[in-house]
Amino acid sequence: MKLHSLITLSLAVSVLVTPALAQKSGKDVYGKTCAVCHATGIAGAPKYGNAGDWSPRIAGGTGRLYGSALKGTPKGMPAKGGNPSYSDAEVKAAVDYMLAAVKTAAKPTATPPQNPVAKEEPKPEPKVATSTPKVDKAEPTPTAAAAMAEAVPVGDVNAFNRLLKPLGKRNPPPPEDGIHDPANDGTHALLPPLTAYAGLPKSLAGNRVNWVEAIGTKKINPRWDRTDPKAEPVVMDLNIVREVKGSMPDVVYPHKQHTEWLDCSNCHPAIFVPQKGANAISMAAILLGEKCGVCHGKVAFPVSECRLCHSKKKDLARPAQAAASVAK
Amino acid sequence: MKFSIGMLCAIAVVFTAVPAAAEYADVVLNRRAEKEGMRPVVFPHWFHRIRFQCRVCHAELGFKMRVGSNDVTMNDIADGKFCGACHNGDIAWSPDRCDLCHSGKPGLPTGIVGGHETSGPGRW
Ligand code: HEC
Ligand code: HEC
Ligand code: HEC
Ligand code: HEC
Ligand code: HEC
Ligand code: HEC
Ligand code: HEC
Repeated sequence: MKLHSLITLSLAVSVLVTPALAQKSGKDVYGKTCAVCHATGIAGAPKYGNAGDWSPRIAGGTGRLYGSALKGTPKGMPAKGGNPSYSDAEVKAAVDYMLAAVKTAAKPTATPPQNPVAKEEPKPEPKVATSTPKVDKAEPTPTAAAAMAEAVPVGDVNAFNRLLKPLGKRNPPPPEDGIHDPANDGTHALLPPLTAYAGLPKSLAGNRVNWVEAIGTKKINPRWDRTDPKAEPVVMDLNIVREVKGSMPDVVYPHKQHTEWLDCSNCHPAIFVPQKGANAISMAAILLGEKCGVCHGKVAFPVSECRLCHSKKKDLARPAQAAASVAK
Repeated sequence: MKFSIGMLCAIAVVFTAVPAAAEYADVVLNRRAEKEGMRPVVFPHWFHRIRFQCRVCHAELGFKMRVGSNDVTMNDIADGKFCGACHNGDIAWSPDRCDLCHSGKPGLPTGIVGGHETSGPGRW
């Protein structure tokens, strides 16, 4: 969940900032793109704020780091973080932003340098939110505080949950959600999500609706055909087990839950060759919006829900196998 | 220091903006709308997926699963393509209800919002 809230937070911030700035700030670019790998150190990426990860790299000079960020490296750093639409200056600003974090982390700040979430949070000092100029404080503080001031009422620093979004702030109605224009009459005619979700099974992420259960228990009955409410999907019950190296449980990819919503042609052959094991899938690719990440993390449940995909305990005695049972 | 100037800009912007608590998977469509003097369009996935399976839009109607890759114009919609395949006064209300679709805050870029976690252009 920590990963989830960090990324949500950084994205929330960057989504806000983007429209007004012609050139995105380093923090924006970091939050929108680099953080997916560098916040937690996915695939061996040097972690944000972790001086140990960065110092040997910094030794080679900032120029070299710019080069790696712009052109990519063979060891997994994609050119421009995988987003060629960034200008060189934006990518360099993101590198500067990441380097600044290691420099401030070297100074004694009250937060553990390992934890970027904590770093970004406002210190429990209500004054910060009013941006009182402070000498020698970590620079990220005021911005983060500004963002947080909206999420957490100022003065509520000792509230039980400081960062977990309170129930009332989730799934806001359109006029308050930050993207609909409240000055537009139509906005007020739109349905608030919570009204629609009232009778639906809950989940902990995304829309906070368990869509699989909702359709399985017929709480909702989305049409398979645009015009014919009676047409039924061809549901295929075929699980594909993908063995995962390391300690994470294996991934079970279920055709059933997917073919309840999707057409074979949505995945085959553009995203996946229909052959077990024929596709190289990795978390890095998923986080970049490829493979499973084409849908998961955008429309289907987000990547923070590790257990939904990594659902098969490692069975060391037998090799993993596809439990193929084709029903109707 | 370059860094702090960037931070200051960010602060200024964040202070003037509202919380981006948009519903997960809402899509802002603004390739043309604002240039032509209309508010950006907000497409709510959650609302439509209660009524339609993904395949209806992404296979039957041919919406490509990548934000910004479908070049939608009002002409297409009036011709019964894209949104107009349903928003035709038959399956759903007709395209004359401009303000229901063109409901986004001015200035929003095309993109998926609501705390998505995969970034980069949706490539494969
Ligand atoms: C898909 C995951 C991923 C994303 C996204 C990503 N990185 Fe990286 N990055 C890595 C990995 C893995 C490494 C370590 C590669 C290596 O050691 O060569 C790395 C290394 C780096 C380095 C050090 C390179 C060196 O030569 O020591 C810099 C600087 C860097 N990334 C900047 C960025 C910036 C800036 C962004 C955002 C625009 C970004 N990264 C986005 C995975 C990523
Ligand atoms: C497959 C059919 C279909 C397609 C395609 C479709 N819609 Fe809809 N849409 C509907 C239906 C059905 C409703 C509900 C109508 C009603 O409430 O009477 C709806 C309602 C809406 C609403 C109102 C939601 C609310 O809160 O009441 C918006 C906004 C909307 N659609 C936007 C769009 C946009 C923008 C597109 C194109 C990008 C689009 N729709 C494409 C079927 C569709
Ligand atoms: C959400 C995406 C998705 C959809 C929709 C989907 N598949 Fe698949 N399919 C996959 C993935 C992922 C694999 C595993 C590929 C791998 O292991 O590299 C797979 C594998 C397969 C295989 C190979 C099985 C084997 O044991 O080698 C077949 C056959 C297949 N799919 C048929 C279908 C059919 C028929 C449909 C429609 C009813 C369908 N798929 C819908 C994602 C999908
Ligand atoms: C084309 C879009 C798409 C792709 C690609 C895709 N999924 Fe899904 N997946 C969905 C949708 C839609 C659901 C329904 C649940 C939801 O929306 O949250 C779903 C549900 C699931 C579920 C069921 C969870 C449950 O509660 O039973 C699992 C597991 C899953 N996906 C794993 C994967 C894996 C692993 C991959 C990659 C190999 C993948 N998906 C690729 C769209 C997709
Ligand atoms: C949408 C489904 C999905 C979700 C959610 C998901 N994973 Fe994965 N994960 C995969 C797939 C598919 C693979 C590739 C398995 C293979 O090698 O075939 C994978 C591989 C991995 C690996 C092996 C290294 C690599 O990059 O291939 C690790 C570690 C991992 N996942 C960790 C996580 C963690 C931690 C989370 C939660 C934050 C998570 N995963 C959430 C589908 C998922
Ligand atoms: C009523 C039509 C409709 C339905 C139903 C629908 N979508 Fe979409 N979807 C769209 C539109 C419109 C876009 C935006 C396309 C664009 O920007 O050109 C989109 C975009 C996407 C994207 C691209 C996101 C990105 O960031 O690039 C994904 C992934 C996606 N949809 C998945 C799904 C899944 C999974 C489902 C089923 C749970 C679904 N859609 C149901 C209309 C629909
Ligand atoms: C069903 C939803 C919907 C309704 C209703 C709707 N629009 Fe649009 N409109 C769109 C979408 C989607 C686009 C493409 C947005 C983009 O990418 O910029 C668009 C684009 C536009 C554009 C710019 C592109 C072009 O074709 O010139 C104009 C102007 C426009 N709409 C005007 C209107 C007016 C005026 C009305 C009311 C009579 C209206 N729209 C009603 C969905 C809608």
